[in-house]
Amino acid sequence: MEILAWFHELLDGNLIFTPQTLGYYWDGLVVTVQLVFVSLLIGLVLAVPLAIGRSSGRRWISLPIYAYTYVFRGTPLLIQLYIIYYGVVFFDGIQETFLWPLLREAFYPALIAFTLNTAAYTTEIFRGAIKATPKGEIEAARAYGMSQALMMRRIILPSAFRRALPAYGNEVIFMLHASAIASVVTLMDLTGAARFVYARFYAPFEAFIFVAVIYLCLTFTILFFFRYLEKRLLAHLRPQS
Amino acid sequence: MADTPIPLEVRNIKKRFGDTEVLKGLSLTARKGDVITLIGASGSGKSTFLRCMNLLEQPDEGDLIVHGEEIRFKQTRYGREPADWKQVVRMRAKLSMVFQSFNLWAHMTLLENIIEAPVHVLGKPKKEAIEHARALLERVGLTARADAYPAQMSGGQQQRGAIARALAMDPEVMLFDEPTSALDPELVGDVLKVMHGLADEGRTMVVVTHEMSFARDVSSEVIYLHQGLVEEAGPPQDVLANPQSPRLQQFLAPKY
Repeated sequence: MEILAWFHELLDGNLIFTPQTLGYYWDGLVVTVQLVFVSLLIGLVLAVPLAIGRSSGRRWISLPIYAYTYVFRGTPLLIQLYIIYYGVVFFDGIQETFLWPLLREAFYPALIAFTLNTAAYTTEIFRGAIKATPKGEIEAARAYGMSQALMMRRIILPSAFRRALPAYGNEVIFMLHASAIASVVTLMDLTGAARFVYARFYAPFEAFIFVAVIYLCLTFTILFFFRYLEKRLLAHLRPQS
Repeated sequence: MADTPIPLEVRNIKKRFGDTEVLKGLSLTARKGDVITLIGASGSGKSTFLRCMNLLEQPDEGDLIVHGEEIRFKQTRYGREPADWKQVVRMRAKLSMVFQSFNLWAHMTLLENIIEAPVHVLGKPKKEAIEHARALLERVGLTARADAYPAQMSGGQQQRGAIARALAMDPEVMLFDEPTSALDPELVGDVLKVMHGLADEGRTMVVVTHEMSFARDVSSEVIYLHQGLVEEAGPPQDVLANPQSPRLQQFLAPKY
């Protein structure tokens, strides 16, 4: 309670950071975290089978996946967001379906765009890691009677995930920062809140530096999480202490 | 012992890479307890021959009979392939291989490496597999390294670990592909000692090697390959002590 009182005193003389605007920032933080977390999660789940397919020797499997990753990595995320957000209305009859109440909001089109985008990048990260599996380890798996599926599950994927970890950590941070553009389709995420505060008080430094600090804190949280994961999962690459 | 099937029989194996015929019809019969060493200059086809035995390479012609079961092949557009991959998987589980570059799975500890195939390929209960693995580790002198990752072990330790991994399958035949060639000279001895022990206890082994002393002391049969053909074969006291062909004489002659 002591702290709350101190906090109120601090806010008393402050015109910009009132409990009301802090509430906007808080709501924005929740939206950003939801958007990034859910799109990363779905993207990750999609990327694993896509990466396996992308590594397949059968071209009718690998080529369509390559086309997908090429398109989504080859165009700006903002454009993808525009196409999905503004384009979805033009599907005939979509306004009559159960999907419309969802798609009418800015959140779900943004979620779809972000998910498809991160899934494309993650697919390529994993594909590279799968391709880099040492040939000898695959040969040993075959020589010990593993079927293709068992080898994928027990040898290739566990080894590839570990190799992909540092690159994937970057992708997570990249997605957090890219989520700032969700505010251009009226979504009140962190950046949306900052823009609102800026517009109301014409105080660009306060509004945006405050939000930058929040992004920094989020980034550090992600960094530490991945550092912890790498410490645990990449133990096999470190010389013994 | 007459009615137990022969662990491994290969007949008239031929293999070509592009225009080069590397194996020109090679046969081998490994009866129970046999230690067969394949020697020859590099390029003679000895490693390829060994890799044909567990179908890491697909032979273009020839028969393969593992523990009395003949592997079925079919002809496809890309060449000859096994007709039934399930059969291949079953057959590979009976032949375990030790590689020149160890090929332990890097993301698993040594103990995990050893129990991996017994648990997930043979369906052995994990507890039993771990017990067996610990006994094998003791045997190859690596009890203390059970929880080490391959990258944390020396080459000799990795190779002895790889031998323990091979033994954990209770294989009919063990295939060794130049097991000491990637090791520092002072580490070769430990690995050879383990292999000696295996031969002494009556393991059936096919060994590709450059270690002539091993071939002389341990093997029941030595096969000298030259350009994809058997140039000379027989017990080591004949082939190594008294080589007939000038090529083998030259191969065995001291280099300096």
